[in-house]
Amino acid sequence: MKHSAKLPGIKNFLGVPLIFLLVWILNSQDPIKQNEILYLSLWFGIFFGAILQKSRFCFYCISRDFIEKKNALGLIGIIVSLAIGTLGYHVIFGAFLTDPSFPNLPPNAHISPVSIVLIIGSFSFGIGMAIAGSCISAQLYRLGEGLVSSLPSIIGIILGFILAFKTWNYFYLNFTYNAPVIWFPHYLGYTGSVILQILIFLFLVLLLFKFHKKTSDKKNYSWWKVKWPTYIGGILIGLIGALAFLRITPLGVTAEIGNIARTTSEYFNIAPGRLEGLDTLRGCFTAVKNIFWTNNGLFIFGLVMGSFVSAVFSEDFRIQIPSFVEIRNSFVGGIFMGFGAMIALGCTVGNLLSGIMAASLSGWVFLIFCSIGLYLGWYLKKNFLN
Amino acid sequence: MKIINKIAVLITFLFTTQIAFAQSNFLVSTDWLAKNIKNQNVKIIEVSVSPGLYERGHIEGAVNFKWHTDLVDTVNRDIISKDKLEKLLINSGVNKDSTIILYGDKNNWFAAWAAWIFDIYGIENVKLLDGGRHKWEAEKKALTPIATKVKPGNIKLTKTNLALRARLSDVVAVANKKSNVALVDIRSAAEYQGKIFAPAGVPELSVRAGHIPGAVNVSWGEAVNKDGTIKSAAELKKIYAAAGVDGSKPIITYCRIGERSSHTWFVLKKVLGYDVKNYDGSWTEYGNSVGNPISNPSGTIWGKI
Repeated sequence: MKHSAKLPGIKNFLGVPLIFLLVWILNSQDPIKQNEILYLSLWFGIFFGAILQKSRFCFYCISRDFIEKKNALGLIGIIVSLAIGTLGYHVIFGAFLTDPSFPNLPPNAHISPVSIVLIIGSFSFGIGMAIAGSCISAQLYRLGEGLVSSLPSIIGIILGFILAFKTWNYFYLNFTYNAPVIWFPHYLGYTGSVILQILIFLFLVLLLFKFHKKTSDKKNYSWWKVKWPTYIGGILIGLIGALAFLRITPLGVTAEIGNIARTTSEYFNIAPGRLEGLDTLRGCFTAVKNIFWTNNGLFIFGLVMGSFVSAVFSEDFRIQIPSFVEIRNSFVGGIFMGFGAMIALGCTVGNLLSGIMAASLSGWVFLIFCSIGLYLGWYLKKNFLN
Repeated sequence: MKIINKIAVLITFLFTTQIAFAQSNFLVSTDWLAKNIKNQNVKIIEVSVSPGLYERGHIEGAVNFKWHTDLVDTVNRDIISKDKLEKLLINSGVNKDSTIILYGDKNNWFAAWAAWIFDIYGIENVKLLDGGRHKWEAEKKALTPIATKVKPGNIKLTKTNLALRARLSDVVAVANKKSNVALVDIRSAAEYQGKIFAPAGVPELSVRAGHIPGAVNVSWGEAVNKDGTIKSAAELKKIYAAAGVDGSKPIITYCRIGERSSHTWFVLKKVLGYDVKNYDGSWTEYGNSVGNPISNPSGTIWGKI
């Protein structure tokens, strides 16, 4: 791939003043002015979105590259982010909690119970992301690229959340309430936990390389249009994941969508007002919105904005009007994703990234069953849903 | 040499007296704490209820006490036992001669609960950081995310002074006019008047609204300035006297679960030196008790649609 020596034009930077204008407007709101954590959430979101866009960190697209083209580089990029995040998290764990023995747990880390509910949720999420064409974080960053079909998907996700609320109490009282919360440092200490995870990552990378087939991209792009390799995105996402955990809360993109779903369902009185035990669990849980500005709300708003700026810079931004089939698939996939993300207490970001980085078994269980669901969803979509 | 020694003694004397008299006996300012942060004799304890707050940034050297599990009995509804508290303090590096500085989020409510518990178990030299975590943060003083490592301390708890704690029977006696005690309800006016069953965002845990008959309403917030620091003794005297609470008879403070009332307990007991008990059963016990009179000026009925 040759990089031309040309410079990008002014139009490539059009998103930048927009971001500063928006940040300035938001920062003139009293709650954000008075709470630097809200302000920081917005900036984390902007950078996260830009990195997702620039390195095409779309869990489904990456998986499809592997399934269809045997290109494993994207999946390896995800593992890179998990490895960097694991190191970062453990360094922070050492500061937050000097004694990792049972039952101590570091605050807010996404270490959630492992039960059949997590398995069902992960599986449903995997099917959904394949049908919809991307997971929730990717729907958000692709919205910033002008992908209009993200909108029906987000509506589907909200509906999926409401469906999940209706089943939550049954799941909680029968399975979740006494399900084990398994955190590797309880058994292995911090060093053992890091070593175990790094060994698994190495094994997975070697396994993926075994299947990997080189694909060559001969197109001659201007350098600003070139996508970063996924592992570059992975390194940066691993760093952002650890920094967000240090300063605010682990990365997650479903809490605010869930809050909106919960507020909606409360308004129309279509789901139980009280979701049993939800407040006692860790992960991306939801609450009825009684404050407008939330960390997660600003984070996902920043994510879409950051992706937009990056997409404009890279000349990736174009309004893409979906066909009926795309709208249908995005919507239906959204329902599966929303349902799965709610009962699993997180998606590919909140569960897979933030769970595995935190050395929680729940993250690994999500990874396994989401992958199985994804493969099934890919198969269904290829054969029946086109 | 003698002169140098004398000067050294004098300097030490001036320095220590300055520390000792810099503050009232029960409050220290944020500036005082910032200066004494490295003092080996000063043990700082954070009691915040928001998870992750201590870990992401606390005052250097502070240890973390969790109200929900460290300062109450998690099975019986009761305060922490003497043995458990002693163990906790020893593991936190508190010595017999330590000066304990308590601070926390939510206006020091839970830190004040700790101060009340410490007083019950006869721990001396316990002070509250005036203005709490909020003021420390507002002044942009340093916080660290690095957990504090301590060597075990040698504190021994020997006394238990339950005279500082009011029980249901004590307040029932006041309600039935069989006891001459000034009862102070420190909740918001809306809670006191029975308009609401619990403050916004808090679960309604009592099936009756209102207050204990005979109680006067002086909201806890009356006792603090805008920056969260506790008002001067003269101002406080005036505020409570206006509600008929002047220290001429014993006082009982209560709220919903006893944490906000610990704050007023601290103000009345430590700053004004009155005879005060805290009723930790508070409205979630009294408002649910069967057969006891209540006063509900708003006439709200629980469960009525």
